[in-house]
Amino acid sequence: MRPVIEAEGLEKVFRSGGRVVRAVQGVSLAVRAGEALGIVGESGCGKTTTARMLLRLEEPSGGRIVFEGEDITQRRGAALLPFRARAQLVFQNPFDALNPRFTIRRSLAEPLRNFGVPNEEHAARIEAVMARVRLTPTAAWLDRHPHELSGGQLQRVVLARALIPGPKLIVADEPVSMLDVSVRAGILNLLRTARDELGLAAVYISHDLALIRYVCERTLVMYLGRVVEEGPTVDLIERPLHPYTRALVAAVPVPRVEQDRAALPIKGALSDAPLAGGGCAFRDRCLQAFSRCAAEAPGLRVVEGGRKVACHLEPDMRG
Amino acid sequence: MLLTVRNFQVHYASRAGMVRAVDGVDLEVPAGSIVGLVGESGCGKSTLGRALMGVLPEAARVAGGSVVFEGRELVGAAERVRRDVRWRRMSFIPQTAMNALDPVLRLRVQMLEVLMERGGFRRGEALARAEGLFRQVGLDPGRLGDYPHQFSGGMRQRASIALALALEPALVIADEPVTALDVIVQRQVLDVMRDLQARLGIAMILVTHDMAVVAYACDRVAVMYAGRIVETGLAADVLERPRHPYTMGLTHAFPDVHGGTGELVPIEGSPPVLIDPQPGCRFAARCPFAMAQCFSETPAMVDGVACWRASEAAALRVAAAMPATWARA
Repeated sequence: MRPVIEAEGLEKVFRSGGRVVRAVQGVSLAVRAGEALGIVGESGCGKTTTARMLLRLEEPSGGRIVFEGEDITQRRGAALLPFRARAQLVFQNPFDALNPRFTIRRSLAEPLRNFGVPNEEHAARIEAVMARVRLTPTAAWLDRHPHELSGGQLQRVVLARALIPGPKLIVADEPVSMLDVSVRAGILNLLRTARDELGLAAVYISHDLALIRYVCERTLVMYLGRVVEEGPTVDLIERPLHPYTRALVAAVPVPRVEQDRAALPIKGALSDAPLAGGGCAFRDRCLQAFSRCAAEAPGLRVVEGGRKVACHLEPDMRG
Repeated sequence: MLLTVRNFQVHYASRAGMVRAVDGVDLEVPAGSIVGLVGESGCGKSTLGRALMGVLPEAARVAGGSVVFEGRELVGAAERVRRDVRWRRMSFIPQTAMNALDPVLRLRVQMLEVLMERGGFRRGEALARAEGLFRQVGLDPGRLGDYPHQFSGGMRQRASIALALALEPALVIADEPVTALDVIVQRQVLDVMRDLQARLGIAMILVTHDMAVVAYACDRVAVMYAGRIVETGLAADVLERPRHPYTMGLTHAFPDVHGGTGELVPIEGSPPVLIDPQPGCRFAARCPFAMAQCFSETPAMVDGVACWRASEAAALRVAAAMPATWARA
């Protein structure tokens, strides 16, 4: 089965003043229908820029994006409209994702109008999508305005608005980070069910590995613009290969009093000046760095078990 | 006991009426312990933290109860007593470090201000102390001459911790100190706080919505719901064997990075509006185990839990682990 979305060698260079920031460097990924891919990393690792490029909300500086078998990298303006209907973003902050003056009905009808869905189909599609996000009976909700809804209810509307054009791909950037703990679980369950029932390809962006474990089978770990590790989420958490992934996993607190409180296997801080020249971008924070790490940047390679890692410490398994 | 809070009340004026944001809170903080104050937004935990420190916003006021800190009553105390306590004996770390730091002043100036004006240190001593404080929280003393905007979020949070510790207070109240930080930085900041508690015996109240942060960093926990503490005790007991259904709900609502991938269990509904609270247990409307009595009579805090069905906690815990229990009909 061909992937819903594929990206090859995505690059993003930002220039401001005299500074050049290579925000994303050579990121490749593929997501099939019914599959969810997680992208994790800290602020500034390039995960949000990658997601925005996948949706063509940010112009790639290099690389290719293929959606349902068609190269869409060069498409502009109106030529992107069919793609926009089929690739939707779930906003992070439900409190400012909706127009405060619109009723919920109008917020949901807007994308249908934009994508040319005939008016007589609107009511039935709105009804169906509201049932999917469990805002029923719909009559109780459709004429309300955003300020009359709680954060959890708003996020359901935001999800409904993303689903209503009938997308094949949804991209969610920190979909529950603004919500209260008691309602996060409900939204995550809805996202999972929608993906399974509609056979969506999903990309989740988060700094929270616990959330990623819950919703994504496969995960990319990014550090300073590059993918440093990729693999099945459970393997990556239980047996991280890259030293950065190890630190990231070890840093997540668990809701049990018995837990590992040993010092994190990482040096320094992300804010320290980025390293000049070649070599591994993580070497100044790595406890295991050796001479080769400064001389040569490790590429993302397939290692044991079909997992991928960009680290000189891992033996190449292709022989 | 370092801090003893009894029947504490904080009211907010709002357009819709008076909100009882903190409504009869009892809380104890032993010297040298880290107490997690946990609950969802709007439960009153931040208001409680700010009220104890005496830094409430304009619309809020302490409406009753008692706060005894190091043997002194703070409710109704003269401003002179408050000033004496603030920073020197009790200090505050806000959620975003930018709120604790003045953006137009170099960090050195801000540290010296606290150390010299409030602490009475001479300039030379104060400078040496500022450097030591930076080192203690893992910052390079060479960067005392920086402005806050030259620091990353994690570094700013460390600087605001250094500021809070400047006069070696007995108690630090930290309001969601790591919520806005990335996971590695979050862990490093929590480790700084744990280290200071261990080495200097500083007690802390850590206000958070995150049960995992409580589990990682706190000795004791107080679970707050709708303006009241509903369960309190040693973190090990409360997290492993919660006795209040709200605490049980919170423990199942979170994904666990090393846990399974089974259904998470949301707590349906939302907390009540605290303008004219109904009698009875405030969690009753969302509680899958509520009985008639729960809607009419307020359960008192007995042995660390305020629930009419506390004696059945073991059986309720089994039921609470099942998603069907929490599903709305």
